[in-house]
Amino acid sequence: MTTPFGLSSTTTTNTLVLGQKDLEIIQPPDDAISCLKFSPLSIPQTYLIASSWANDIRCWEIQSNGQSVAKAIQKHDAPILSCCWSEDGSKVFTAGCDKTAKMWDLQANTFVQIAAHDQPIRTIHYIQRPSYSCVMTGSWDRTVKFWDTRQATPLKQLALSERIYAADVFGPMAVITTADRNIQVYSLDQGPTEYKKIESLLKYQHRCVSIFTDKSKNPNGFAVGSIEGRVAIMYVETANPSVDNFTFKCHRSTPQPPTNTQDIFAVNDIAFHPIHGTLATVGSDGRYSFWDKDDRTKLKTSDVINDQSITCCTFDSRGQLFAYASSYDWHKGHEGNVQTKKNAIYFRQCFEEMKPKPKK
Amino acid sequence: MGRKKKKQTKPWCWYCNREFDDEKILLQHQKAKHFKCHLCHKKLYTGPGLQIHSIQVHKENIDKVPNAIKGRDNIEIEIYGMEGIPEEDLRQHEKRLAGKDKDEPDNTDTIKVPPIVGMPPMPPLGVMTPPPMMPMTFTGIPYGITPMSLSMMPVPMMTQLRPPIPVVPTTAGNSATLLPSNPIISSGPPPTKPLFPSGTTNANNDVNSSSNITTMVSAATAISNLSATTSGSLPGNKPKIEPIAGAAKIIHPDEDISLEEFRASLPKYKQIMMPQQIQMPPMPAGLSMANFMPPPMPPGLSFMVPPTGFSPMAFNGPRF
Repeated sequence: MTTPFGLSSTTTTNTLVLGQKDLEIIQPPDDAISCLKFSPLSIPQTYLIASSWANDIRCWEIQSNGQSVAKAIQKHDAPILSCCWSEDGSKVFTAGCDKTAKMWDLQANTFVQIAAHDQPIRTIHYIQRPSYSCVMTGSWDRTVKFWDTRQATPLKQLALSERIYAADVFGPMAVITTADRNIQVYSLDQGPTEYKKIESLLKYQHRCVSIFTDKSKNPNGFAVGSIEGRVAIMYVETANPSVDNFTFKCHRSTPQPPTNTQDIFAVNDIAFHPIHGTLATVGSDGRYSFWDKDDRTKLKTSDVINDQSITCCTFDSRGQLFAYASSYDWHKGHEGNVQTKKNAIYFRQCFEEMKPKPKK
Repeated sequence: MGRKKKKQTKPWCWYCNREFDDEKILLQHQKAKHFKCHLCHKKLYTGPGLQIHSIQVHKENIDKVPNAIKGRDNIEIEIYGMEGIPEEDLRQHEKRLAGKDKDEPDNTDTIKVPPIVGMPPMPPLGVMTPPPMMPMTFTGIPYGITPMSLSMMPVPMMTQLRPPIPVVPTTAGNSATLLPSNPIISSGPPPTKPLFPSGTTNANNDVNSSSNITTMVSAATAISNLSATTSGSLPGNKPKIEPIAGAAKIIHPDEDISLEEFRASLPKYKQIMMPQQIQMPPMPAGLSMANFMPPPMPPGLSFMVPPTGFSPMAFNGPRF
């Protein structure tokens, strides 16, 4: 049987035989990685795409023995800020600083422009609903546009209050947050429509947002992270917002003598485990942490990886792997830009460690 | 205070009659309670300043100072700390103080009641401020409730206001006009049925049981002073991140723009972005690279982009 890529399918086993240490992807990009995404469930194999500030989008296959195989690469004219897969895994979408979004047909290996904005595009997501599908782009030009990939004009355009800083899409829900810390939830079933405006719990610049689901895998809330080492867990519909919604601190150093000051780092990305519902956060401090939002506890925090910030993270669609990128995110301005530090993408087996702890 | 000279004793707020230990705290109070934009939480310096901001940025006309008592909510009068207070009101206040000194110590009840009675119900912060909270900071709030009570303007808050305001029908009348103009509150019953499942209300209501996740405590003071993100950021207007008071420091460039924006503005990347023609026409399909992996894939293949010149990977053959 051939896959969408025209490759003969290899083993489809989902059980991995890796050890517990993190593995490194071969041939990582030459500049900071902006976004990591695993292929969707529709494909039996596991592919990983990474977009970077070196203007390229790369694709690897992650084999069940932990080997990463470099597959292909495409380039924009400027740094790529975001990427995503189509639901059937046949296409990859990228967008970034050249103010365009492109569609990569992996089988035909074509790379065509499908969208344009007036300012760099910060987010790109694929929307798949029973009645339609489209691509959503969010830009620093304060608009969000929805594209049929075959047309040059957007299907719909929304004007938001400020530059789009982060967005996420899951099923019939989309969440977009802007530079003014506004959070807007959209319902996607009858075409994208404004559903609810949510007032943020965070007092500092928003940096990332990720939707979570209830036990039946229906989206019912989101986590939003800020530059102030804090994540807010918010439910879209709740009778008791002050009870159900909360924030927690993360990615902060332990105050040490002599200064005894605490360094607070930005939360660069948040990802939810597709099976367990627990979440991972990565930050400028170079660590990743796993959390249980229902139990309101921390599951684990890593050591500092490579002495460098972690810019993005993602889980694979079966919940087996956790991948994260070690790159400089510019949180220390110029002084932190050490040219000799390499960019790296790591991944680890995570199914067991992401399980919520049994309640005593 | 043994002086005979009867100057103003403690600084007090013209808008709500509260007293403060010194003028700095009074100013902080005014900025947080009376000159704060309910839409974007930006703190202005004066009442007229807030009005202008609201019109310019949110296109909304404010005619009353938030959290002010009746008769002291004129948004056009320019008060800053103790400056700008009309003579008449100064004398009135002194009289009240003098009167109180004779009878009883300054009763906090007097402070509590006006905000509830006279305040327009729109900003719920006014209702939250009595007993548990200090005038200007948001510390002292129980953990589980910390951010919620401040930042959310849920409908239940509004309904809660009705009972405590039995005496002022005009206030209720005000609320009728004020509510619709507030774009943030999703008014009363949501216009559409909820499309997304409810949050788990029974899952772990006991916030304090969690050992590792706590809401902010030490940073609360600074967070209340935040006016980090300005609304309507104009080009060239680079708002700074509000620093956290105390022994904590956010490791981030000073400008309150995203790290990506910061990086994209660096010469290294800017020159990549600038010369490019905007709105490129769709690229021709002829760009397809002929050597995208054909089946079956042999090991040791490198990325096929000549310019970057990848060396073929060396790894153990795949074992399946």
